Amino acid sequence: MDALTASLVLGGLVVLCSGAGLLIRAREGRAKILTNTVRVTPEQLGLRRGDLPFGSSATLVQFSSEYCTKCPATRTLLAATAQAHPGVRHIDIDVTHQTGIAQRFNLKQTPTTLVLDEAGMIAARIGGAPRPDALTRALDTALRRDHGNYTI
Amino acid sequence: MATTPSKKTSTSTSKAPSGKSGNPLAAKPGTTGIDPRGPRFGAVITFILLGIDVILGLTGPSVQSGTSWAVRITDPAFILLLVITLIFAWGSFAGISRHPYGLLFRVLIRPRLSAPTELEDPIPPTFAQLIGFVVTSVGIVLALLGVPYGLVVAAAFAFIAAFLNGVFGYCLGCQIYVLLVRAGILGRARA
Repeated sequence: MDALTASLVLGGLVVLCSGAGLLIRAREGRAKILTNTVRVTPEQLGLRRGDLPFGSSATLVQFSSEYCTKCPATRTLLAATAQAHPGVRHIDIDVTHQTGIAQRFNLKQTPTTLVLDEAGMIAARIGGAPRPDALTRALDTALRRDHGNYTI
Repeated sequence: MATTPSKKTSTSTSKAPSGKSGNPLAAKPGTTGIDPRGPRFGAVITFILLGIDVILGLTGPSVQSGTSWAVRITDPAFILLLVITLIFAWGSFAGISRHPYGLLFRVLIRPRLSAPTELEDPIPPTFAQLIGFVVTSVGIVLALLGVPYGLVVAAAFAFIAAFLNGVFGYCLGCQIYVLLVRAGILGRARA
């Protein structure tokens, strides 16, 4: 192969990677507001009964793993957000040794954050390190959720 | 360049990682967190070298079949990939904090930057080095066996991962780890 063709191949690779990187960056940390009614119980998260781990008005469930570069920063953000809102709790779950949880919640990346409303229903899902504005919007959705819309 | 996006407005002067006690993912006691821009700087050097290697591989004998043993091991693309593989091995077995590019970063780049806004656990980038080592090792083995395009394809995969890390700060190896956990291949050993 001549040098020109080889350079074109490398150029194509750079374009491909840049496109993939921009796509990842555009998608990462955005909140997906969920309207269906999926309820999460503390037992499903590997938490013991009687711990009362959920917040009285909303819960930020963070899934982390070992070898996760953005998990510590996410933990800081979610903990601060929970502290700023009374009745909101932050739970961090390391799924590294809990394969079942990773499968049940269809985790494709860590961190992944579920924002639960007061009834433990998933109000929003955020893949990757949450953007602060997306987190605020997701939490607002959970806090304002109208329970007349669904039956438990 | 990739090493610039640091928030200079931060007033953080703390050397300690931001996580509180009981956090299993923060830098372990006794080890220190690393500046996250260090591994990214290393990834930039790595993807440039891998890009050169892709060019050398495509224009050299590694894309042909039926080459002799002597031609294969004196191919510049092979020698460069071997060097890259050995550096990955260094990073993955000695740890990212002893990585030669990390040393270069501390001596040349770090003094010109503001303090990092946060420190990073050295374990994830060390794991990413291991993934890089595995991928480039496959390329080395395929090149030794004389499989056409084996070297180039392996170098291209490693290039993609290093490029995403260096330019976008996206750790592909770390994401693959989660998928391996989910598939039950990793993470079951300890309960």
